Amino acid sequence: MKNKFVNILVPLISVLLAFVIGCIVIAVLGANPFVALQALWTGAFGSMRNVGTTLARSTPLIFTGLCACFAYRCGVFNLGGEGQFIIGAVVCCFIATRSGLEGPLAIVLCLAAGALAGGLWAAVPGVLKIYRDQNEMIISIMLNYVATLFMGVVYTNWLRDGTVPQTAPVPDATKLSRLFGLRVTTAFILAIVVGLLIYYFLFYTSKGFQLRAVGLNMTAAQFNGFAVKRYILMSFIVSGAIAGLGGSADLMGTQYRLINGYASGYGFDGVAMALIGQLHPLATILVAIFFAVLRVGSTTMQAATGVPTSVSDIIQALVIVFTVAGLAMVKLPQFKAAVAKLSARKEAA
Amino acid sequence: MDSAFITNLILASVRMATPLIFLSLAELYSQRAGLVHIGLEGLAAIGSLVGFLVSLITGSPLLGVLAGAAVGILVNMIYAYATINLCAEQIVYGMAINIFAPALAAFIYRVYFGAGSELVQVGLMTTLSGLLGIASDNFLVRLLLDQTPMVYLAYGLVIFTAIYFNKTKSGLNYKAVGEYPKAAATLGISVVGVKYAASVICGALAGIGGAYLTTCYSTTYTDGNVAGRGFIALAAVIFGRWSAGGVLLACLFFGFCDALQIRLQVGSYGIPYQFFQMIPYIATVVVLTIIGMKKAGPKGVGKPYLREER
Repeated sequence: MKNKFVNILVPLISVLLAFVIGCIVIAVLGANPFVALQALWTGAFGSMRNVGTTLARSTPLIFTGLCACFAYRCGVFNLGGEGQFIIGAVVCCFIATRSGLEGPLAIVLCLAAGALAGGLWAAVPGVLKIYRDQNEMIISIMLNYVATLFMGVVYTNWLRDGTVPQTAPVPDATKLSRLFGLRVTTAFILAIVVGLLIYYFLFYTSKGFQLRAVGLNMTAAQFNGFAVKRYILMSFIVSGAIAGLGGSADLMGTQYRLINGYASGYGFDGVAMALIGQLHPLATILVAIFFAVLRVGSTTMQAATGVPTSVSDIIQALVIVFTVAGLAMVKLPQFKAAVAKLSARKEAA
Repeated sequence: MDSAFITNLILASVRMATPLIFLSLAELYSQRAGLVHIGLEGLAAIGSLVGFLVSLITGSPLLGVLAGAAVGILVNMIYAYATINLCAEQIVYGMAINIFAPALAAFIYRVYFGAGSELVQVGLMTTLSGLLGIASDNFLVRLLLDQTPMVYLAYGLVIFTAIYFNKTKSGLNYKAVGEYPKAAATLGISVVGVKYAASVICGALAGIGGAYLTTCYSTTYTDGNVAGRGFIALAAVIFGRWSAGGVLLACLFFGFCDALQIRLQVGSYGIPYQFFQMIPYIATVVVLTIIGMKKAGPKGVGKPYLREER
């Protein structure tokens, strides 16, 4: 119970600290931090329309966050969420613009194909990890660059539409429907459902338990006769499928076409969110929404105060820097001893 | 494939290998002290930006490189404190640096140049032949003299590192910290001190590696200009089996891949250029797959060192 409390407290303090530093930076740049924060808030929540935009913005982040979260639960670091997301979007783009299919069938097919493509893309580092004992981080990151470049081939050559290097938008019939007429689409609901499914799988099924056991202590899991290698590969494929599904859903939901810079940074953002959410799927979703708030709000902030939007990236980065350090600190024996001493003194008084 | 193609390829390989050498040595020094660092990409990004800015403001690429080293050390102290004192997981914290440092770099760039900034360019470091006033088309002259001082520094550091880790007492002590810190501590070696020294060296070299990109290679800074070199350096250390000589060969190989893709892009051959750009990344995957892991690295890498723990 106490542990859980600390696990929530540390990220909250980190967010607070990050905002304090963010405000100092804003003040140094000559803007009023309170005006800036207010603009940030109205930008993200000021109207139903803004809330819809924020949720739409959070959707791809939820997918890559869950992708990182799932793999790391099994003890493997999948840093390739970005590549898997992109490959999912690319495959979706091919089917949506070239197959001639339309309507719900096309949408389901696109989602399934995106998930499959992402899963296969993630299987590469997974297979290399279990058969060649290879560093899955380096491999998955290298594949990010390959995927980004491949997407480049697609939008500058194969599916290029007109003079601008971009693909044609997906047909209207394959666009996901908006919720309440806002920018947020059914992709957001899909993201939440995926999060709930992962949560159920990890904490309420025996397979999920075994997967977490592998993540906590590979050797012990092996001695217990768990199929460690199979879990590692499975976690990679599922994790990639989540990202691929996200790419597909985001393309049909908000992005519509492949362009330069699409999905850039989503993978590492996902890792950051999973870490701040301490690998809890539902907490990861909340962090993703928080990140989206910062991003959407910072645009309004820039318009109101002239502070560049990238200050929100700094705040995000500081949250992860503080959270990870804070969580390590509370596990230190010195810290535990100090806490014990404090509570003993309280009892004596 | 004419001879000019091959000459240019070799010359470009040396140029492209240099930032990788700095980054790989940074990783080597960190890992030899038991600190696996996947945040080099981030350190290089901030080093690259600060190197660019300082060289732009002062007009001296050399000062740019020094500033890059300084900021690399500064940012790496965050990593050092978190992993050494707070015993944070090194991989996780490396990731945190990878997210933090590029964000900082992008932010400083936006603040300094404003939102709608046009392309700002900066002069590059003069080559040795330029300093000496030699101009020749001779291949050997170009290979040996037509290089920036940074290239000589990189090779000098490789030689120094090889001697330091294998022939000096201090180097062996250093390595002991990475292999088995408790034994090293019993011998009176300051484990924490060595780890901090390693972090200073690592930060400086990674910062220099990043600054190389904006003071010796490209005349401008763009977000993401490190382009995965920080991670390729990690692969180079594995490929080079944690030895200075091996790392050098690995870097030359990856530098060659990078040079090859640039050269092939020029030829184009009707193939989308992105396929050529994939070469260094695919080569990294293929090389790692072929050599396999074989645990050859320092034994204590990735493990936190707690003095109280017995």
